[in-house]
Amino acid sequence: MDIGFIASLRRQLGRMCRMPVYIVMTAIVPLLCAWFFLSLLGPALPLRTPAAVIDLDHSALSRQVTRALGASELVDIRYKLESNHAALELIRSGKIFGYFTIPENFERETIDGNAPMLEYYTNMTYFVPGTLAFKGFKTVSVVAAGGVVTAKLSALGLTADQISALVQPVVIDTHGIGNPWTNYNYYLTPSFLYALIALLVMIMTAFSITIEIKHGTSVEWLATARGHIGVAILGKLLPQTVIFTLVAFAIEALMVSYSHFPMNGSLAWMLVALALFVLASQAFATLIACVLPNPRLSMSVISLVGVLTFSFAGFSFPVEQMYGAIGIFSYLVPVRYLFLIYVNTGLNGFEIYYVRYCYAALLAFLYLPWLAAWKLKRACLRPVYVP
Amino acid sequence: MKMIKSIRTWILDTGRVLRHELSLMVHDAGLLLFFVALPLMYPVVYTLIYNPEVVTKVPVCVVDDSRTPESRKLVRDASATRAFGLYGYSANMAEARELWKEQKVYAILHIPADFAKKPRRGEQGHATIYCDMSLLLRYRALVATMTDLQLALAQDITRERVETLGADASMASVPVRSQANFLGDSSQGFASFVIPGIVILILQQSLMLGAGLLGGTSRERRRAHGGIDPQEVQGVSPFATVWGKSLAYALFYIPAAIYVMHFIPWMFDLPRLGHPVDYLLFIFPMLLAAGFLGQCMVVFLPEREYVFPVIVFTSVVFLFLSGLTWPRYAIEPVWYVLGNLVPATWGVEGFIRINSNGATIAQNAVPYVALWIQVVMYSVLSALVYVWLKRRADSTAGIKA
Repeated sequence: MDIGFIASLRRQLGRMCRMPVYIVMTAIVPLLCAWFFLSLLGPALPLRTPAAVIDLDHSALSRQVTRALGASELVDIRYKLESNHAALELIRSGKIFGYFTIPENFERETIDGNAPMLEYYTNMTYFVPGTLAFKGFKTVSVVAAGGVVTAKLSALGLTADQISALVQPVVIDTHGIGNPWTNYNYYLTPSFLYALIALLVMIMTAFSITIEIKHGTSVEWLATARGHIGVAILGKLLPQTVIFTLVAFAIEALMVSYSHFPMNGSLAWMLVALALFVLASQAFATLIACVLPNPRLSMSVISLVGVLTFSFAGFSFPVEQMYGAIGIFSYLVPVRYLFLIYVNTGLNGFEIYYVRYCYAALLAFLYLPWLAAWKLKRACLRPVYVP
Repeated sequence: MKMIKSIRTWILDTGRVLRHELSLMVHDAGLLLFFVALPLMYPVVYTLIYNPEVVTKVPVCVVDDSRTPESRKLVRDASATRAFGLYGYSANMAEARELWKEQKVYAILHIPADFAKKPRRGEQGHATIYCDMSLLLRYRALVATMTDLQLALAQDITRERVETLGADASMASVPVRSQANFLGDSSQGFASFVIPGIVILILQQSLMLGAGLLGGTSRERRRAHGGIDPQEVQGVSPFATVWGKSLAYALFYIPAAIYVMHFIPWMFDLPRLGHPVDYLLFIFPMLLAAGFLGQCMVVFLPEREYVFPVIVFTSVVFLFLSGLTWPRYAIEPVWYVLGNLVPATWGVEGFIRINSNGATIAQNAVPYVALWIQVVMYSVLSALVYVWLKRRADSTAGIKA
């Protein structure tokens, strides 16, 4: 029985060959973006934050602190300054992200037991460099204090073991599971690439459907599928599904093999998730195209959702910390579930059982378009273009 | 004399294009969505997403094998902090791990059986916190808390113990104090850090979308009318055309710029140390450059709807190029150079310094000059694009979609 599926498929393949936007946006742009993201953030952490030191003491002890700063891998002491004013000037022109001040009479006050104050300033307007400079400065200031105590106690005749137990009687070890290097890349890059794939899949889906209505070719499109809107949609979207899925697999392969991102869970299940994710994103966009069969409106909504996804899907700020009324939106987009699957199986190495509902949710998206397909059919039969 | 006359003609032509473009803009519903609704709504939505600012009460489950007053004090002190949210006690690590896998907790604090015994023997006591690494913010909040807690605990115990050794307690007290000061974003909040950059990116992207939309529409009209766009000011030099358009967009954007740069930080109580004259003067060349860049993009936009596939995704790329999430000094050179070509890169950098660090426009000479260089560069490029597209539309009947 011929239901026009093959004819619809052939028609769409012909269109894809004629319109360069298809191949550019489904294959070339995602792969270029993958190259961009995977090569952009070279090292695990951007070490050696540009910083400055203000040494007002110029003593043996203060030089020791300065040397310790210079030896820290987190900061790069580029300037030695004489005043706060000069340091703020450098902060404001973006040359440094933090500075460390050693007060006057630092050495004398220390020996006298007056506990002088080391102050450090970090520019938190840039989160990553600010945080790293803070960490570097804090370590040096704590170590400086510890060094003085150690010197005093060993003068009393205590052994090194006794001293370390005295100075640090309790230690709380921190273990970052699955990412002991605190590599920011491990979830930033995959999650942004997934969200970017979702954005492109959704825009191209709505584009390919609604452009038919704009050009008035939707009647012919539906006729090729013998009037079945379901067949017409499948015939139109299947070639893109194949290309996007292959591209997503290629990107995943790059991340796992070339960039050595962790894949502590099952790679096969991750690939299943990716294929489902491409389908779910297409279904999501098809639903919007059905409800709003106008190219500009449907793609506006999709762009709005797609770009906001990067924020509310909780890649950087946790969803459970957002306002409830905002956080709930994260569960309305497919990429949230893919992100949870990635961090929980790929990064944390959990069994599939613990993300079962994410797979179920991705499957559930596939039913969405059929709720409103009748509306698209009506629009296709009487195409009206509103610019 | 002739030169003055030609300059006068150029200015008058530019003015005509400007006026005409403004009337085209206000009659295009699609454009108004980009030029008005987008800069109006997006910053509010973004800020609402990030407005809780800091991560608090990360659920943690405790496995206490020590069951001593010391271990209970540790948990009590921890749960008194902002970051630590006590989810409950588990009998053993297996049970705790199960809670973690079900994503009920994001960290496990394990206190071993000898936690209290060891310090009494004069050895070091250990506790361990295992953190989920799926988000840096949760981990960062917990680590910072635990480090402070460890320092405070150590100080208490040390003082006690030095006294029992017969030494003066002040011998082991902190000989050097230290204090951290946070500049710019003193609350270390996420919205305060990210929004000043995002709003500038929103300005650029919505402006480029709109400029692309108008350019694509003009190409459609040209195709439909045999190579001539009837809605275009005729007999004007290409340079006057692109300048007229970009000036129209930039002027139209001044209220939006004031809104996102002044009122958004004010509404959400974000850092706002800059002087309005500084940041408004600063942003003007960025608006112009973004308008020219949008006109250059028209080369990829045979129809107005093409702006969605072609321009929308660039927001993400430009966000990373701007150095907001990842410092620019640490990215690969090739991407650093590419970032230099994006108006928002300099716009974000300069506005953050002016707005959050209280810098002046003079302290931002480098980004400011870079923006004007972009204005010149992209105005020439967009004029070339304009000439090329016009010539092509004359020679071909257009693309059949």
